[in-house]
Formats: sequence, C-alpha cells, structure tokens
Amino acid sequence: MSRDGAASTTTTGTITGTAAAASTLTPPPLVTGKADFQSLDRDINRPAESFPTHRWWMAISVTGTLAGVFLFCFAYTVARGIGTWGNNNPVGWGWAITNFVFWIGIGHAGTLISAILFLLRQRWRTAIARFAEAMTVFAVICALQFPLIHTGRPWLAFYWLLPLPNANNIWVNFRSPLLWDVFAVSTYGLVSVMFWYTGLLPDLATLRDRAKHPVRKLIYGILSLGWSGSNRAWSHYEKAYLLFAGLSTPLVLSVHSVVSFDFAVSVIPGWHTTVFPPYFVAGAIFSGFAMVATLIVFMRKFFHLEHIVTKEHLDLMNRIIIATSLMVGYAYLIEFFIAWYGGVVYERFAFINRAFGPYAWAYWTMVSCNVIFPQLLWIRKVRRTVGLLYPIVILVNVGMWFERFVIVVTSLHRDYLPSSWDHFTPTWVDAGLFVGSIGLFLTLILLFCRFLPAVSVAETKAVLPGSHPKHHHHGQGHAPAATPTGPGGTGG
Amino acid sequence: MNSLSAGADDGAAREQESESARPGLPSRDDVAGLPVPEATAAGRSAAAHPNASCTTTRRDVLKLMAASAILAVGGPGCDRKPYRQIVGMHESPEYQHPGAALYYASTWTDGAVPYGMKIKTLDGRPIKIEGLPDHPLNRGTASAAMLGSILSLYDPERLRGPRREGKEINWEEADSAVTDALRRASSVLLLTRATLGPSERAIVERFLAACPAARHMVYEPLNDAPRRSAWRTVYGADGEVWPRLSRAKVIVSLDADFLGVDGAVLDQIGDFAATRRLDPAAPDPKALSRLYVIESGMTVTGSNADHRIPLKPSAIGPLAEALRAALAGNEQPLAAFRDAHRLSTEAQEILGALLKDLRAHEGRAVVLGGAHLPEGVHASVALLNQEIGAPGKTLAWNPAPATLPVDAPEEIAAALAKGVDVLVTLGVNPIYDWPGGDRDGLFAKADLTVGHGLHLDETLAACTLALPSCHNLESWNDRAPLPGLTTLCQPVIAPLFDSRQEAESLLRWTSALAPEDEELKKAAGCWHDYLKNRWQNGTLAGAGEPQLAWEAALRKGMAGSAAIPAFPALRRNEAEQLAAIGAAGSGAPSATHGTDANAFELAIQPHHALWDGRFASIGWLHELPDPVSRLVWDNAASIAPATAERLGVTEGDWVALEHAGRVLRLPALVQPGVADGVVTTTLGHGRSASPVVGTGRGFNVAALLGAGITGHLAQVTLRALTPAEREAQEAPRFQLVRTQKAFSQQGRPIVIHASAKDLATDPACVKHRFHIPELKQLDNDWDYSGGPKWGMAIDLGACVGCGACVTACQAENNIPIVGKEECAVGREMHWIRIDRYDEGDGANPRVHQQPMLCQHCDNAPCESVCPVNATAHSHEGLNEQVYNRCVGTRYCANNCPYKVRRFNFYNYTKRLHKDTVQELAYNPQVTVRSRGVMEKCTFCVQRINEVKFKLKNEGREVPDGAIQPACQQACPAGAIVFGNLNDPESRVVRMGGSNLAYKVLEELNVRPNVAYLARIANPHPDVHVEDYGGGHGHGGGSSDADAADEHGKGGH
Repeated sequence: MSRDGAASTTTTGTITGTAAAASTLTPPPLVTGKADFQSLDRDINRPAESFPTHRWWMAISVTGTLAGVFLFCFAYTVARGIGTWGNNNPVGWGWAITNFVFWIGIGHAGTLISAILFLLRQRWRTAIARFAEAMTVFAVICALQFPLIHTGRPWLAFYWLLPLPNANNIWVNFRSPLLWDVFAVSTYGLVSVMFWYTGLLPDLATLRDRAKHPVRKLIYGILSLGWSGSNRAWSHYEKAYLLFAGLSTPLVLSVHSVVSFDFAVSVIPGWHTTVFPPYFVAGAIFSGFAMVATLIVFMRKFFHLEHIVTKEHLDLMNRIIIATSLMVGYAYLIEFFIAWYGGVVYERFAFINRAFGPYAWAYWTMVSCNVIFPQLLWIRKVRRTVGLLYPIVILVNVGMWFERFVIVVTSLHRDYLPSSWDHFTPTWVDAGLFVGSIGLFLTLILLFCRFLPAVSVAETKAVLPGSHPKHHHHGQGHAPAATPTGPGGTGG
Repeated sequence: MNSLSAGADDGAAREQESESARPGLPSRDDVAGLPVPEATAAGRSAAAHPNASCTTTRRDVLKLMAASAILAVGGPGCDRKPYRQIVGMHESPEYQHPGAALYYASTWTDGAVPYGMKIKTLDGRPIKIEGLPDHPLNRGTASAAMLGSILSLYDPERLRGPRREGKEINWEEADSAVTDALRRASSVLLLTRATLGPSERAIVERFLAACPAARHMVYEPLNDAPRRSAWRTVYGADGEVWPRLSRAKVIVSLDADFLGVDGAVLDQIGDFAATRRLDPAAPDPKALSRLYVIESGMTVTGSNADHRIPLKPSAIGPLAEALRAALAGNEQPLAAFRDAHRLSTEAQEILGALLKDLRAHEGRAVVLGGAHLPEGVHASVALLNQEIGAPGKTLAWNPAPATLPVDAPEEIAAALAKGVDVLVTLGVNPIYDWPGGDRDGLFAKADLTVGHGLHLDETLAACTLALPSCHNLESWNDRAPLPGLTTLCQPVIAPLFDSRQEAESLLRWTSALAPEDEELKKAAGCWHDYLKNRWQNGTLAGAGEPQLAWEAALRKGMAGSAAIPAFPALRRNEAEQLAAIGAAGSGAPSATHGTDANAFELAIQPHHALWDGRFASIGWLHELPDPVSRLVWDNAASIAPATAERLGVTEGDWVALEHAGRVLRLPALVQPGVADGVVTTTLGHGRSASPVVGTGRGFNVAALLGAGITGHLAQVTLRALTPAEREAQEAPRFQLVRTQKAFSQQGRPIVIHASAKDLATDPACVKHRFHIPELKQLDNDWDYSGGPKWGMAIDLGACVGCGACVTACQAENNIPIVGKEECAVGREMHWIRIDRYDEGDGANPRVHQQPMLCQHCDNAPCESVCPVNATAHSHEGLNEQVYNRCVGTRYCANNCPYKVRRFNFYNYTKRLHKDTVQELAYNPQVTVRSRGVMEKCTFCVQRINEVKFKLKNEGREVPDGAIQPACQQACPAGAIVFGNLNDPESRVVRMGGSNLAYKVLEELNVRPNVAYLARIANPHPDVHVEDYGGGHGHGGGSSDADAADEHGKGGH
C-alpha cells in the first residue's frame, strides 16, 4: 500500500496529471471527473458536516417508524410468547430464522469487499468498501435479534447459550450447531466491527480536523483515538488493517458455512444436504452485493458521489452478482440431482414438494429472482444503467429472502410422517418483525451516512490518478509507467 | 386419630397399590357422606350444615388444608403465602403419607356402561381415574370419557349451591319447597336417566309409593330401545344380548360401531383385540378372527375391518334378511339385493365370502346390529345369529341389563303436555337434547320444575329449582352391570361445593312424605346409610360379619361375580313376523335411486367422547381427535367424496339438512368411506348453557333426531346453500379443525401390514416389507448394562384407534388443552397421538391406526441439536426433557423425525385458568410446564421412579409389568406394552424380537426404542384384495415398491 503522501489530512496542492501513458489496456479511472484531495475531503464529508436535508429527515422518519414497529413486535413477542407468530408443530422455525439467515447473508458483502478484495488488490473496492462494511455491521445487528427472540425464553437464552462456568456444572451442548452459530456469528460480528472501525480511524481524524464546533471536535477526537497521520501511525495502521483483512477472510467463509450447519447437520430431508456450506456462502455474497448495490445507488445519488462511486463500480458489482447467481443456480440444480440420484424417498419427496407442493410459488419466486432475472446482467448496458439494474438487484434481495424461507419452511412442513404435515401461515407479528428489521437496518444506515463518511476518504485519495509515487513502498524497483493506476498496481 | 380408627364404624376401603390390602383392617373414616362416630359427632354443630348428619369430618378438613397448603406453595403463579392457620399433625394418620398415593375402588356412574374405576388420590385429592383391574367389563382399562371425568369434578363452572329462579337458597328451603309441592300435587313426573343402579331404583320405587301422584319416566336421547324391544319380542323376556367376541372367529357388524360407541365398548374392544393379537414368538395367522363391517358412516369399527362395504342404513335390513335367506339356502333375495343396490364387484365378492364364512363357522361367528337400526332389522339379526348358532356361544344373555328400558320421547311429551304439578328431572338434560319438536315449550305446563344436575345446564336453567348434584367421585352408589355382580361407587373426596347427590334428595323427599317408613327412618335421610343397609341386608346378606363384608366390598369395589344364565330360546314366529316388517319397512331403496338427488339418509351417532353432550364441559374430550376424521372441537356433516363433488361442496362449506320441516345448517366434512347418499353426524356439541368449554362449540343436531323416531335414522334432504343463503351466513365457510391433514402414507413404510395369507406363506413377510441397509454406529453406544433399559412395543394388530391412551396421557401428565384456534394452527399438545393412514379406494379406503409417541431413540436427533443440553439421555434409555433448562429454540422439535415434541407457544395452563379449583386436578408428581418450553412423552417417568424406588426399598427387582405408563394402563385393546429391554424374559423384549416387529423410520439410524408389531389383516382368500400381495416391497399401493427399494439404496 502506498498512502504516504496521499492520505495526509492536510494535503496541499493539486495533483496534476501524472497519469500514465495511454494504453488500450488501461482500466478506466476509479474516480471520474475533476477530483483532488481537497474536493474529496469536501465532497465525501459534506453529509456529515452540513445540516441534514429535508430528504434525510423524511427518510429517517419512515425508517425510524419501521424500527419502532420492530421494537414493538419484539416487546410483544417477549411479553406474549412465540404463539404470536405463525410457527407450529411441525414448522418450529419460520420467518425469524428466515430473517436471521437473510440478514447474516447480507452481512457478507461488506467483509468480502473489505477483506478479500483487499487481499486480492481489487482497488476499485475503495469506493464501496466503507459503505459495505457498515452495512455488514448493521446487518449482523439485525440478524442477531432473531435467534434471541425466536427462543421461547429469551431472558434465559441470552446467557444460557454462552459457555459460562456455573455451580451446577451444566455446560452448553458443544454438539449443537446452534451453539456453533453463537460462536461463529459473534466472532464475525466482533471482527467486522473492529475491521470497520480500524478503517474509519484516518477519516475520523479528518472529520476531527475539519470540525468547527468544539463538541463535534471533541467527539470525533475521542473516536479517532488520537490519530496523527504520522508515518508511524500509518505503518501500524496498515499492518493492523492487513491483519484484520487476513482474519476476516476465513470468517467470510466460515460464518455462513456454520449457519448452514443449522440445517445440514439435521436429519430433515431438504436440510440434510452436504452442498449447503459452499451454497450458503455463494448465496450470501450474492445477496450481500445485491444489497450493497441497492443502497449505494441511492447513496451516490443523494450525496452527489457519482464521480467516486462510478458506473464502473456498479458494473463490477454486477459481474460478481451474476457470477454468484450462477453458483446459486447450480446449487439449486445439484440439490435436485442428488435427491434423484441419492434415491432416498424422503429426500426425493422433499424436493418435488418444494417445486410443486403448496409452497411452489415461493420456490419459483426464488428461482426466477435469483437465477432467471439476473441473467439480464450479461448485457453491459443493463449493468451500467441504474434504471435497469435496480429492479434486478431488488429482485435478488427478494429472491434470497425466499431462498431461506423455502429452505426453512418447505422442508419442515412436510417431513417424514405425513400425519404431522401442516401448513405455515405468518401472522402480523412475523410481518412486523421482518419489515421492522428492514426499518432498523435502514435507520442505522441513514445515521451512518449522517455522521461518518460513507466512502473512505483516505483510501479514495490513494486511488486518485497520480496519487502514487513512482516507487514501491519497499523500494523494490520501478513499476512500469503504464500500470500504477490500475487496480492492483501497487504493492503492499 | 387412634381413637377415631378404633371407633369408626366403617370405611372407604382402599385398594392398595399392591394387592396386599389387609382384610378386616381398622376402618378409616376419611370420606364425607359417612356417619361419624357418636363421640365426634357430639362435638360438632349439627345445624351448621344442610347435610347435618353427613358433615365433613375433621380428617377431611385436614386433608383439604394439606392440599391447599401444597397448592399454595407449589401452585403456579403464587408468590405469596396465604395467611391462614394450618394445624400441624402431631402424628400422621395411618395410611396417610404425604405425597403417597392412595387408591380407591369405585364405579363410573356417568356413562352408559358402569365400568369399574380405580381412583388415585394424593393428599386427599383425587387426581387420576384408572380402570379397576378386577371389573369384568373393563378389566383395568378406561375410556376417554371416564378418564376425563376427573376434570368435571374440578370444573369451576359447576353449580355450587341450590338456586330458586337464579337466587341462591339453602337446602332446607329447597327441600321444603319440593316436599310441600309434592304433598299438594295431583300429578308428579320424575324424569331420570336409564342408568339407575339397584339402590337408586329402590329409592325411586319408594318415592313412587310415598307419592301416589308420581310417575317415573326414563329419558335417554340416544338409546337402544328398538333393539331391546326386538329382543323382548323375539326372546320373550326383557334383557340384553351380550356379545362374547373373544370366542368369535367371524364377526359381522351391520352398522354396529361396537369398537366406538355401541354397547360396552371397553369390553368389546378387549375381546376383539384378543382375537387379533398374535403370539409374537410364533404368530399363527389361523388365530385371527375376521371382521366384516357393513356400515353407513366411517367408524372406528369400520377402520378395523378386514372387509368393509359402505351401505345406506335403509339397506341394512334387507341385507340382513337376504343373508338369512341365503344361509337357509335361498340365494334369490341376495341376488335381488345386489341388483337393487348396484353392488360393486368387490362388495359382491365380500358378501359371498361372508356367507361362506358364516356357514363354515357355526357357533364361532356373530352378527351385531347397530343400536339405531329399526326393530325389524334386529329381529332379522336375531334370526341370523340363530342360524349360525351364536346364542350361548358367541352371544350371552343378560336378563337384568344395567339400564332401564326407556320411554319414548313422544310419551314423555304427552305426559308433559297434559300438565304436571311437579316435574323433577334427575341428571337429564332434555332442553338440550330433546329429539326434535318444541323443546323450549317442553316444561311450559309444569307448575314446579325441579332440576338436579352438575351444572346449570340448559334444563336446570329452565327449572324453577336448580339443585346441584354431587360428582361421581363425591357420591355413594351402586350398579349391577352383569347378572350376579353388583359394584359400589364410593366418594373419594368431600363434596367441593354445597351439592347433594340426586338419590339423597329423593331419599329425603321420600322420608318427608313417608315418615313412618322403617327403612327410611333407619337411614335418617342419609343416602350412605340407606345404601349400606340395603347392601348389608341384601347383596351382602350371609357374607359374614356385616361391617367386615361391607368393608371388603368397598375395598374390592364390588360383590358377587358374574353368572351368565342360559340363552332364552328364540321365538321364531315372532322374530319372522318382526323381521318381515323390518325388511318391508326399510326395504325399498331410498330416494337416492330415484329422482331427488338431494334425498339422503342421516345417521346420528353419539360423539365418541362427549357422548350425548353430558361430557361437554370436559376440555380434554373436545380436544381428543375423532378416531376417524381427527376433527376436534366441533361436529360436522360427514359426506362421501362423491357426494361432496355432486353437491359442489368442499370441506367447511355449509350444507343444509332438512327433515320434517326443520332445517339445520352444518359444515360439510368430506370423509372417505362414508356411503354415498348418506350423511352422518354426531350428537353432543352445540351446548348453549354448558360451561365455558362446551358453549358455542359445534352444532346441536338433536332437533334432527325427529320426535317420532326412536332410533336416530331419518330421511333427510341435504343440499348446498343457495347463494342468497350463503350470503346471509355470517361466515362463508366454517373452520373445521383436524389435527391431522394428510392421510396417505406416501408409500413410506410407516404402518407395515400384511395379510394372514402372506404370513402363512412367509413367517418373515413383515421383515421383507422394507429393507434397511446395514447401519453403522460411528459414536460409542450407550451403556445400559447397569440397570434397566426401558422400551415399548405397540401391537398395531390389536390397536383399534379409540384414543383412550391420549386422554390417559393428558390426565397423567398435566397436558393442557389449547383450544380450537390453537389446534387450527397445529399446536395441540398431546404427547401421544393416533395417526390414521388411508390406503386404496378413495370411496372405501382401508384404514390403519397407529399410536405415535416419543420413540426414546438411542441416537436421538433431538439431543444432539439442543444448544443448552435441555434434552438428554438417561442411563435407563429414556430421552429426558429438562424443563428448567429449556430455552425453547425448537430445534429439537424440528429435528425429530416423528414430530412428537410439543412446544408451549403460550402459557396454555394459565390461559385456560379460571378458578383455583382447577389447580386441584393437576398431578402433583408432574411439573406444570410454563411458556416457551418444549415437552414430550417421558414414558411416565414419575411412574417408573415410584415403582422402582418402592421396590428398591423393599429390596426387590422390578418384575415385568409392574410399571405401566398411563397409555398402556388405559388401553382397552392391550396394544401397548412397556418394559425392561435388558430383561430377556420381558414381554416387550419378546414382542420386539418377533418376526412381526419393526421400528418406524429405523433406516435413519436413530435407534428408536419403541417397536411396532405389524398389522396382520385377515381378508378372505376369495376376495381379491389389491395390495395384500406380500413379498418384497409391495407394502401398500404402487409407490410402496419404490419406497422399499429406495431405502435399500439410500438410507439416509
């Protein structure tokens, strides 16, 4: 990484065109238009430094109301019992677990973008990484609500699920996938928060330095942990960032694999499937990118960051969406193949029932949203036109929620003994919790946009054309003149 | 207490848990209703209580206080100790160990058949009803209604004191009002049930003698009057025919639901099951009986049939006649019958086989006719039975039936219409179940109406004086179920409320009218004394010292033994004449063959659990699924799928039933197996003034019974509602709730069955119905060598699917009812359920019943997934649920392949809690579960431990059969066997090792500890039955082949 000059919070002077010589293979610039360090500081920090707009207030009043609905339904469930939901016997898990897996899936994109793309030197990630990471943290917060309230006695669950030493020597059951979930999700949540916060430090310092009001200065000052922008600080910072990236990378793969164990480890046909871990991870990345795209389209528009989050970024995200869509589609097919090939009558029935049973509508909604419609993204124009790509990413969000619903509910509602087959019908509390959790998520996103830079200022400065010194950080010789601005062009 | 026991004159003898009750034991005076010794009585205020001579004893007070104290401390929701004085016992009364159960022998007097009860009391409070093992009719088993009647004892809606026109009065006022009116009256009508015992009949006679203006009439809305009347005619004596099914090889039911609601069902199930239970070690298919069922609706009996023909009720009579003619050698009427009713090929084959069987099994066959069939048909049935030599062999004669002959409703109506000065109703509810006509105006011409009953029901609400009756468990009574046998009913708790039993009221009124009567004087207004005197001077005369004889009878619950007299000779001429009328009267094919597509025949049966509605206050019975349709909380009009299609209705659509100008709207229930052109429904629902539980549940169909019809069979019009009518209806559809929605096995090996022929050709045929690949155990096996390992075996051949086990489990384990709305979303709480699977022809399916409960798997899928270790394996092989530890993730329930775990979605116990008196019904040995907790079958771990600890203290091993879970204990078919799998001699091991044994979903390698014995049906070899083919993979239906094969390949 080479941020030495670029990331100083008080850069002076304009970087003039030191862009590389033209080449047909030169990737498009990551920041378009006339941007310099100062304009970046100004543009990106503007939402945090100006008075909230009318539109922001309108948005947060809607999402805040929905978050209120969530809190109400939460309290209602705790006060009355799970009976307020549509769950029954045999469908012991319904929308709550669907929502849990849905939100955990959303939470995948952030860490993937921040950590894996970072390690793979995908420099275009800078424009969306911060936002995606914030989204991860908020999605995990939303996800965590559900396993807790879906228990019958949450007041006991929240500490009995932890392996706390106690006088009775009763321990948690280490064989239970639900316990693995507790570990996996809490680790993922903690690491995501720390990774995100570490990345925020230079920008918090920028905000501190730019702050005019003393209270504001004080708060950002505390939050920036005395960041000075010194070489020493940068050096530590980069090491820490790299470390977190390394730490988060396996977590991206592990958390959803472990979540998938909730199902894969059971004996229920439709759940008991070895393909689940990779299938869930691919699905999570798929839904995560779709959610990033869904939100960032608004963000870049309202905060006038189109030149930083460019169509190029949208294009690249859409390529990942179509790649993961194919993976998910492959998983759908392979499940059917194995059900047929394995020859287990229960398994076979479970999948026939999934596609043609009472919940066939949900299954085909899932297939069309996740596999059929995303194929339009093969077309370059669709990938790059907000009006065209937007419906598709919305459908992917819908489809991925249905995927979890299909897995949870259709497998449970008809399992081994036909005598216990039943139907699941959600109640208004189920609906309130789901819609409310979206409200909670968006409220957190809006607050984030208000108080923190939605795009990493420091990192973006580093990808500005000409922000790179001619030499590699470790002085390992000259880089070819044509390459420094391209993604992955600099060493670290 | 010592002085008491020495001076007490008598006792409620208890049946000790072991049979070691000491004869001549110093009597205990711990039950109300007993006269107390002079010494103690003197110290008591005699005037303070209306039952002056029958006051509560000091011991009762102590018992009640102990019970309340326990409840106050341990009851749910009580966090404050009540402020009250509690007298500490310096020395514990003999036999009263806190927390130790005492058992009393008694008789169930609520139902139509007087079964023996063994009542478990804990700290003075009855908590569970069980069957009395020595009783010849129920032999230790129990029916759902019998088990449920414990709830009506603690029913908070019971009438708690006498009332006059709604105002509370005391008993003296009530008595004087009645006796004054009786003295003045010129006409008195006493209306009672048919089930009066000998002492009750005696007091009724004395009452009639003391009050010459009085007339006694017997009212039962559902009765076997035509059958009994036919028997009277054809056998020349009043009495009843008692089937001895255990001796029968061929059983033919002509619309007789003898395994469901018709007759002494527990006795009949027991006898029938005995002919269907095979020796597990060497199953001999020749030992099986064969059951032919020709019926209009789809009943429990029909679901157990080897051959079943759905037929309209009107065709049953002609069929009986045709069969009789055919047996006599004249096949022509049968041929005519076939043509007239367009019988299917299968039905014709079945009739042919039936005739063959009847001819071949002289003296070992029996034909039973349904109680609702007309008189003439019963004459035909009697002739048929004569033809096959049944009387004296498979049929016994009871010259003194336990029930009185009933009076026709129209005669009662006529008596009432003439006007009566005093009308006394004892335990009947005609305002609810009056068969048709103007029920509201029924009492219009009665000056003083006196109603005696448990609740302020429809009839009591219409009476001037509403008098509360004592519950069965608070009453003294007797019954004579069989000739030579008299059983006693004794109270096991002091009356909870200010109530008095009906017989005692009658006794007091009679005493007031006839003060000079010596015997009544001796009883001094105390029913207990009267009853005891009668016994000591009658039944027990010559049985030794009167007091000891009485106590022995109380301990045993009965005196004498059943002596079956010879069968009276058939008066053939009378029978022929009657049968001819019957065949002619109902012979014409009904109008469905004609032009009117809406003409139907209606068959009204009593509800399988609520009976005629008298048990409608018992929530357990409302939530006990119908044995066939699995319907809960409602009744409906059951129609065949073909009928439904013709009428254009689906389940829950309203249909209109019209009869004699009366219209009733019922929701339709589509039930495969019901004969086309027939609509069946049940009586017992639609109570308007029954307690909270029963009110507004289902529909009262009594109006359709028809005033002039003694049975419950009528020509009705059935049609879908017109659009206008439908719009006028509040809800376009009615929600019918079934606890089971899918009835197909989907070709899965769940209920394994085979035919006797298969078994004869291949003794291991059951094992060939499915194939399980070699299963590997990756983990270490549990080590059970240190003690017992519990397991169960269920004989599907014996189980008839009555559902008694479900209610027994509910009573034993404090399982809450959840109500219709919760059942509708699939949240019923039963730990054991009966699953029904249909196979074959949609119009006449073959039905299988299968009890399903926790299989206590060794590799339990529920155990590994619980994150908090709330469900764990015990060293005795039980899968245990630790309620305290459970946080309710429901993962265990999801992962249970049998779906037997039940979650408390709400605090169900609290939701239905209306009064503290309800708390008394809980079994203190079982935790009452809170909200958010998972629960399931424990194999009645409290019973296991009770026996185990007791025997351990005595230094003994647990013998096989000493521990019985509640389900096994109640099961009238003896289909459930529990025991120690480590004991090679135990019954459960012998059954599990049988060639007939299999385990459900064994291929999952969950290692269940409940073995099922396959159901071996016994179809006649002449009848072509589609899929009893046998051999590998031909279990049931075409897809079974797939199922079995696929298991072989895949496993799971």
